[in-house]
Amino acid sequence: MGYLYELPNATTGVDTILSQTTTSFPGFVPLILFFIFAVVFIGGITRQKIRTGTADYSAWAIIASMATLLPALLFSVSAGFIRLDWLVIVVSLTVLSAIWFFLDRRSSEV
Amino acid sequence: MGSQITLTMSLVFIALFTIAIFGFAIGFATDNDAAISITQDPDVNSFRTDITGNASGFATDSQGTYNSILDTTIEPGSDVAQSTGPFAVSISNLISVGKNVISLPRKAIFGDGGGFAIFFTTFAAVIVFLFALFLYKTLRGNP
Repeated sequence: MGYLYELPNATTGVDTILSQTTTSFPGFVPLILFFIFAVVFIGGITRQKIRTGTADYSAWAIIASMATLLPALLFSVSAGFIRLDWLVIVVSLTVLSAIWFFLDRRSSEV
Repeated sequence: MGSQITLTMSLVFIALFTIAIFGFAIGFATDNDAAISITQDPDVNSFRTDITGNASGFATDSQGTYNSILDTTIEPGSDVAQSTGPFAVSISNLISVGKNVISLPRKAIFGDGGGFAIFFTTFAAVIVFLFALFLYKTLRGNP
């Protein structure tokens, strides 16, 4: 049975699996990062709405951004996982979330 | 938002948060000898320099304002200080923080082209359209 791409060879290290998957499918890492952001952001908002009736969108945006930034930094350690422009976009979105968060606060809040 | 104090605090925290995030990301890359570092991006480097300059400029301005308040003298028989200088808190550096912080995502996500200008133009047009509609419906009611 033929495969669509060469199977990863993990004899040199487990991270080779991720690296070779990224080589075969360049959108792998951005999709993982988007998945993390979406799960934290949508999951947090939904759960908070169920519990309290309202949701703090800006707070969940910055939490999701931070949760995305950390794996993005981990992916940047080895070459071949994440491109520079993706990393800059993730950092930029974190900064944008911070703007939203801090300008959204009332004077009695953080 | 609301008061000037709240707005100033927000802008200061935005600047400090941005500097902290950049410091963390750059330090992470240096400590781990990372293959990809955000310092490899020229836009990020100039942005980081700008935002750090804004923050230190605000610190200098604040010190100057505080010292001018301490040095204020009121002449005998006068109800007010001789100048309004001590009460003029300079937030020009903080406004620059906002501009610089917006400039990085603009370059990183939309590039240097005119795409972002079109985005803003369209957004402004939507606002104007809604405002006109709001005025019309207020004056004439729902048609």
